[in-house]
Amino acid sequence: MKTEIQQQSDTVTAILEGRLDTAAAPETEKEIQPLYELTGQTIVFDCSKLEYISSSGLRIFLGVLKNAKPKGSRVSIIGLNPDLKNIFAMTGFNHLFDAVD
Amino acid sequence: MDSIIFLGLNGYAWITIATIAGIFVIMARTRIRAEVVFLGALTVLLVTGVVTEEEGMAGFGSEPVVVHAAFFVIIAALIHTGVLYWLSKNVLGTPKTQVGAMLRLMIPASVLSAMMNSVNIVALLIDAVKLWAHKLGVAPSKLLLPLSYAAAMGGMCTLLGNSSNLVIAGLYLKQTGETMNVFEPLVPGLILTVIGTAVVILLQRLIPERKSSEHTFETTSDYTVELLVPTDNPAVGCSVEEAGLYNVKGGSLVEIVRFDKEVIMPVPKTEWILGGDRLIYAGQINEILELKRTHGLAAADHHVWSINDIDTNRKMRTAYITFGSDLIGKSMTQCDFEQKNDVVLVAVARQGQRVDGQPREITLQAGDTLLLECPAKGESQLETNNRRSLTFFDSHFVPEIGSKTITSAAILLLMFIFSSFHVMPLMATTMLAAGLMLAFKCCRFDSVVKYIEWDILLILGATVVFSTAITKTGISDALAHNIIDIFGSNPYIILAVMCLIASVVSEFVSDVGAAAIFFPVMYGQAEMLGCNPMPFVMSLMLCVTFSYSSPIGSIQNMLVFGPGSFRFSDFARVGVWLHIVLLVAMLAVVNIMYPMYI
Repeated sequence: MKTEIQQQSDTVTAILEGRLDTAAAPETEKEIQPLYELTGQTIVFDCSKLEYISSSGLRIFLGVLKNAKPKGSRVSIIGLNPDLKNIFAMTGFNHLFDAVD
Repeated sequence: MDSIIFLGLNGYAWITIATIAGIFVIMARTRIRAEVVFLGALTVLLVTGVVTEEEGMAGFGSEPVVVHAAFFVIIAALIHTGVLYWLSKNVLGTPKTQVGAMLRLMIPASVLSAMMNSVNIVALLIDAVKLWAHKLGVAPSKLLLPLSYAAAMGGMCTLLGNSSNLVIAGLYLKQTGETMNVFEPLVPGLILTVIGTAVVILLQRLIPERKSSEHTFETTSDYTVELLVPTDNPAVGCSVEEAGLYNVKGGSLVEIVRFDKEVIMPVPKTEWILGGDRLIYAGQINEILELKRTHGLAAADHHVWSINDIDTNRKMRTAYITFGSDLIGKSMTQCDFEQKNDVVLVAVARQGQRVDGQPREITLQAGDTLLLECPAKGESQLETNNRRSLTFFDSHFVPEIGSKTITSAAILLLMFIFSSFHVMPLMATTMLAAGLMLAFKCCRFDSVVKYIEWDILLILGATVVFSTAITKTGISDALAHNIIDIFGSNPYIILAVMCLIASVVSEFVSDVGAAAIFFPVMYGQAEMLGCNPMPFVMSLMLCVTFSYSSPIGSIQNMLVFGPGSFRFSDFARVGVWLHIVLLVAMLAVVNIMYPMYI
């Protein structure tokens, strides 16, 4: 599991690569800590290289969202493969985030 | 094989012993269906040449098998036309005391069991007795145990009552060529039934009071309930506390199972809810089930996208797992029971105890009570489809009482008159009665095959063959000799010892099995000692049904085990005493009635 954070003007993109399963979740959670500091920006999770996500992986996204909302940040998710889209749809996550694609 | 001799027995004999021992081990250790085990054992005997093809197949055409098959049709007709329903409704009444209630139940149950197969009588009366117990304000266990005992005792009185009676009469016919009268065991059976009923009533305080399992769902505060969060539930993304799903009225959230089977336990208040979560609550079932209405949760075996997709008319029904059920040893997630029947398992109760964990993952046992969410319609269809696995507490089967009720009752009476006066052999009489039931449309022509419990017939047929093998290979002779060598040649002592052994064995083995094994041994002993075989045959017939102390020894006990919420040891409390008293009484009565030497 690889995580990379890129900043472009007021958009911060977290690029996730590999399998975000229960074992990888704690490490990934640490790596995206910088996202918790942001205020009034757009946070984008780029999932085009993400192969799998477990429920504990989804909790990380939800954690970022819960933190960002009161601080005026927007969170969107892009590049989901069909399997991941299915998981997002089933868990009701695609209604929680500003944009899910 | 004949030339291999070990401990005085040849190779064939040892194959037979190993095969019969194998049956017990396999039955005790595995969940392979009994008829498969018995047929497998029969195959071993055939392949190894212990029995010939003719001997191997003769069992299936023997009297006990044919009479049983005919009886299944007769019983189906009696149920279908409402004869049994009418009887169970009208005999019980409203007695004032516990003793009165027991007599009111045990006497008719014994009489009916003598007339028909005792197992059917228990099966039929269970529901009526439970309702009756509720009305009288006593625990169902207090009446279900006497019901089981009364049926087994009444069944002693005629050849038709207990299956083992027919098996022994069949073996006797084969051995001597003489047909036994249907009422041959009537006098000793009647005396023993009276004594036994008195013992049960005297010891009624020892019958445990067990809470009825269907009411435990309403009253006990400790059950686990599983509910699903549909995708569009507003709680998705909130913490369990925010959503009001943490501490709920009447219970608390103990576990969350995520869509990917990840388990959160214990659940912190701050844990978030995702769509597809399964929330496991412990507490009072009725209150927790309210969450379906108030919080948009669902009972479901598959994922639910929207609460609007759920049929809100579905209803809760309780059912218990019967002995020999296909569901034993499985959990709902491991089988397709829920999909096949469009039901969802919501909670499991086991003898008034809470079973920890996700209900749908629990490995089920015989006697477990299940709370199922069922479709609004098709109650009786659900019952018919699963009658081998589950028994529903709120049975919907109510037959109509009409002219056919009288017709089928008349056919039954006619059958009795015919068989008691030996107008025709028993086999012919019962087949005629079954045929008349069909001819007068007392039961449906097209479903005759469905009424017949083939597994029981296969087991009976195979059992008869084992008896042949035991005789043929010399096991019965050797055993008979050895016991005579040990206990001397006093026939009264031998008879007592044999009955003690046979009755103890039958506490753990079906009465039919014990009858088939012990018949050749005891008949052989009577011949060796130069005695009248009748006291041996009759005492064996009576004593193999003394299986009162364990739930597994008799089908009657197995049947009441679940509905009475009994524990395994409950049967021994009164059962051991009943066993001892009846054994002593039986030896006395039989020896007075049947002289040892003629």
